[in-house]
Amino acid sequence: MGLQIGSNPMSIDAVAERLAGAFAGELTDIRVQEPVTVVARCAREPLHDVAVRLKAEAEIGYETLNWVAGVDRVTAFESIYHLYSWKTNTYLELHVPVPKDEPEVDTVTDVWPGANWHERESWDMVGIVYRGHPDPRRILLKDDFIGHPLRKDYVDLPENHPHV
Amino acid sequence: MSESAPERHRAIRYPKLEHFAEPNVITTTADLIFGWARSHSVFPFTYGLACCAIEMLSSGFARFDVARYGMEVFRPTPRQCDLMIVAGTVNEKMAPVLVRLYAQMAEPRWVISMGACANSGGPFYDGYNVVNGVDKLVPVDVYIPGCPPRPEALFQGLLELQGKIQQHKFVAAKPPAASAPAEEG
Repeated sequence: MGLQIGSNPMSIDAVAERLAGAFAGELTDIRVQEPVTVVARCAREPLHDVAVRLKAEAEIGYETLNWVAGVDRVTAFESIYHLYSWKTNTYLELHVPVPKDEPEVDTVTDVWPGANWHERESWDMVGIVYRGHPDPRRILLKDDFIGHPLRKDYVDLPENHPHV
Repeated sequence: MSESAPERHRAIRYPKLEHFAEPNVITTTADLIFGWARSHSVFPFTYGLACCAIEMLSSGFARFDVARYGMEVFRPTPRQCDLMIVAGTVNEKMAPVLVRLYAQMAEPRWVISMGACANSGGPFYDGYNVVNGVDKLVPVDVYIPGCPPRPEALFQGLLELQGKIQQHKFVAAKPPAASAPAEEG
């Protein structure tokens, strides 16, 4: 049972079923997280194509990107996209695994411009490279910071503390 | 920054008064008048960086009311200020900005370090991007402990600063000549 708000014609289960049908083979491990979130995994190769189609999807239409998160899962990194659909009032949490030996994934800034600063933060903190990003600079840390502090294997360096 | 707070106060130049070799009734009267005027007309710089800023804002409103001490005019530009209240965590990216803003303030200028973060780094002491105390960057006149300090604590810090401002002398008495070391016998 999914939560229905207003005149929303689609329950959260119907959204999950529709995603499973329209993105068969691309979105995997689709599950419903009550009340209004669908969680899915996506490989990094078709990510950009999937993003374009998710935004243009007729019945659901994830028009809003709430945020992009970078996570260190020890065995691999993960780039997580939180999407919101105004038509159905549901969220999609898209997990994209990124291997540690080649931490790169395509940018979605051209699909959702709001991803710009979020991807910069993910690069800043976790060190995931967003290919094709229009402005790939650090955002929260200073430009000459060494390393990515939210990686599990980050070691604090004295070079990052010039004021002692 | 290498200069300490007392050296900085000595560095302020008043050429007319410096004609006097020793303090006399003119210089001490000027000390009194300038100290009274300066200490009751402090223009704080709105330097809120974290939750201490909420206490600093609270100090400005009716319930606590910093206007009782003549310090209610918080300015958002360093050029109109003579007191920087560093309220919050200073991180490495903010550090050069803070030094630059301090340099833009008109002399004589003072710095209050408000709260555990600005004093020493506080709960973020081991952080990867935290400056462990604003005194690593600029000379600090008054430290206010607390996490965050209540407005009353900020007021006590301001009153301590008033006392410090009033102690400023245009012409300081020369220190007594060092006596010859006693001969060992």
